[in-house]
Amino acid sequence: MSLDQAEPAASTAAAPGVPGTHKEGRRGGASTGRRARDRRSGQWWTPWLFLAPALILFLYFKFIPMANALTMSFQDVRPYLGNRWVGTDNYATVLESAGFREAAWHTVVLAAGQTAGSMALGLVLALLMEGQSRRLGFVRSAAFLPVVVPIAVVAELWRIMYHPTGDGMLNSLLGLVGWGPSGFINDPDTSMASIMLTGIWRGAPYDMMIILAGLTSVDRGLYEAAKVDGASRWQRVWHVTVPGLRSVFSILFILAAIRGLRVFTEVFLLTNGGPDGSTEVVMTLIYKLGLEQNRLGVGAAGAVLLFVATLILTVVVQLLRRRESK
Amino acid sequence: MQRSRWVGAGVLASALVLTSCSSGPAGVDAKQNKKATLELWTRTTPGGPGEQGAVKLAAAFQKATGYKVKVTAIFDDFETKLQQRAAQKKLPDIVMNDVTQLGAMHSQGLLREIDLDKIEDSKEIIGQGLDSGKSVDGKQYGLPYSAQASALLIRKDWRQKLKLDVPETWDDFAAMAKAFTTRDPDGDGKKNTSGLAAPLSTKRGYASWYFSNFLWAAGGDFITEAGKGTYKPAMTSKASAEAVQWFRDLGCKDKAVQPGAVTMDTPPTNETFESGKTGMFVVGPYLLPRFDETLGKDKYEVVPMPKGPKDSTVLAEGGSVYLMAGSDNRAGQDAFASFAVSAEGQKTGMEGDTAYTVQLPVNKSVDISQVRPDPRWKTYAQVYQDSGRYAPSIPNWTPVRQATADTLNALMADCGLDTGTKLRELDKQLAGILEEQGISAS
Repeated sequence: MSLDQAEPAASTAAAPGVPGTHKEGRRGGASTGRRARDRRSGQWWTPWLFLAPALILFLYFKFIPMANALTMSFQDVRPYLGNRWVGTDNYATVLESAGFREAAWHTVVLAAGQTAGSMALGLVLALLMEGQSRRLGFVRSAAFLPVVVPIAVVAELWRIMYHPTGDGMLNSLLGLVGWGPSGFINDPDTSMASIMLTGIWRGAPYDMMIILAGLTSVDRGLYEAAKVDGASRWQRVWHVTVPGLRSVFSILFILAAIRGLRVFTEVFLLTNGGPDGSTEVVMTLIYKLGLEQNRLGVGAAGAVLLFVATLILTVVVQLLRRRESK
Repeated sequence: MQRSRWVGAGVLASALVLTSCSSGPAGVDAKQNKKATLELWTRTTPGGPGEQGAVKLAAAFQKATGYKVKVTAIFDDFETKLQQRAAQKKLPDIVMNDVTQLGAMHSQGLLREIDLDKIEDSKEIIGQGLDSGKSVDGKQYGLPYSAQASALLIRKDWRQKLKLDVPETWDDFAAMAKAFTTRDPDGDGKKNTSGLAAPLSTKRGYASWYFSNFLWAAGGDFITEAGKGTYKPAMTSKASAEAVQWFRDLGCKDKAVQPGAVTMDTPPTNETFESGKTGMFVVGPYLLPRFDETLGKDKYEVVPMPKGPKDSTVLAEGGSVYLMAGSDNRAGQDAFASFAVSAEGQKTGMEGDTAYTVQLPVNKSVDISQVRPDPRWKTYAQVYQDSGRYAPSIPNWTPVRQATADTLNALMADCGLDTGTKLRELDKQLAGILEEQGISAS
């Protein structure tokens, strides 16, 4: 609650005990009024003082590097020889590169797949684990584990599971039903789907927890009314639960989409963009251009473009939400 | 409220001023201080024997000269971390890293030229090693402290069980790889072994790195010199294309390369050899201590690579000492470089069974068979001397390696791709890279 919001309550509380307060305040003129207001709401700089530690940290670790990256995207970066201003050349290099266009498409596909998959699986898990039972708490914690396991461990775990021969873990399961063996991350045809599956496995429990929190706000009476009206279980989910979770879904969508666009670690560790560039995403490409090939300006231009895309996506979703709520 | 907006604007303006202030060249003329501690970065696993070796070398240097050194070992993403320090304009004083990193660092102005007159033993350094530290303009920017070349490691017990001879030609090599894949050399009754271990991921351009051993032995080339310091792409030449096809057949037709090779960098590839999943590995001597411990010295042997269609050329590499720009102790930098290549420094760097920083000595006066009596080291030294070839000195080798690794990775991952088309595309890409670096022949 902000100080401004606290003001009316404070004045109301003071009024009964001190009947003449308001009148005296008005009689005392503008300066007395400001003093009284200052006493109630503090000096103008008080909130800034509280915010200062966070703002300083943000400034040095977020905003200055961001401004630096923006500057670098217009330069040929050579720290010890002096940077050269090259205008929009870096952007042209990035946008004209076939590799970037492919990486952008892979990023969109991966982000869409992981977002939709995680939300769908998260909803299913949440519906299965909704309730008050004590045992459910344990199951929920167990299901949440993939989120807290470090991504490097997750990647190594899935690399082992994806072993491309018949004695690999997943391939031996496929073998039971007469399929495979699949190359998984080693085959350009299945590598993207394999990474997507890993992402969904990791993202779904996170979505599940937020959906579980959202489910508590759905009016139970609506379920009963729907049941009385003869709605089937599936109809109750579709017509009561899903509309009741609309705001949760939109928040999850923004979070997951941003996460999806910036996907890097699992791709870097599992395939490094390969095989045959089939899983190259914007972030791995930026990494290669900027840090492996030492073309920091070109890498920065790619990063700025990714930032703009993420910003546009967020703003568009916010606008759609606002229009919907009106 | 108005006031707070002004405050916000002020903060933003300050940030922009700070940002713009930090974009000029800096640190090149740092005030000198001979007592300043030298910060040394070495590309090796933190906490591992490589770090201990570097610390030992630094301690001997400190004792001999009085300069102070602080060693930092970094293995993963070494270049990334160096770039981050470059962006801060606070580079370490000395970097010990691969010779092929010279171009990338030099083109960014991260290196200081080495004055060979200040290096006492400079005339004792092996010629091709010294040349590997020269930039495209012939100036010395790196000083080799260690050399190595690739040789072939073979599972001796597997070879003897299948009654095979040490391969002399590429045909023998392919036949052995195939036999290790299909004839159950470990005798467990399962077809779970492969002939060749190969790190074919695109990370750091590993696929290209590994393949160079085969490409050069076939008489092919990534790029070829066209006179006056210019180069032209050479991956579509007959010899290059045949080498690619031969190597590709090992993976696609014979299935003799380990499964998953196209997404493997070096650590998981090493594991396939030491865990008995693969039977041959073309690699430098730095893995001998590791394999002696995990696999057993008696289980494998070290032999020179068999002769290819042209000869037995293999990749020669090594580590160089780089003196970084902006140092406040240039005298200390020179002293360290001088010590690292001296007979004393080389012997110190080679001491121990595992914790050493020098693989093969670069100083002619140091005899490897006296420091390391193990005959396998003599094999490596011989291979380096007779057949070792370094990557060419061009302004930036990394993009060439990356592009060739991408193509080779694609060809090994998707056996349906047309080799000719992919190599033509690669040559076009290489032409662009050479053009960008100003060394194109056309």
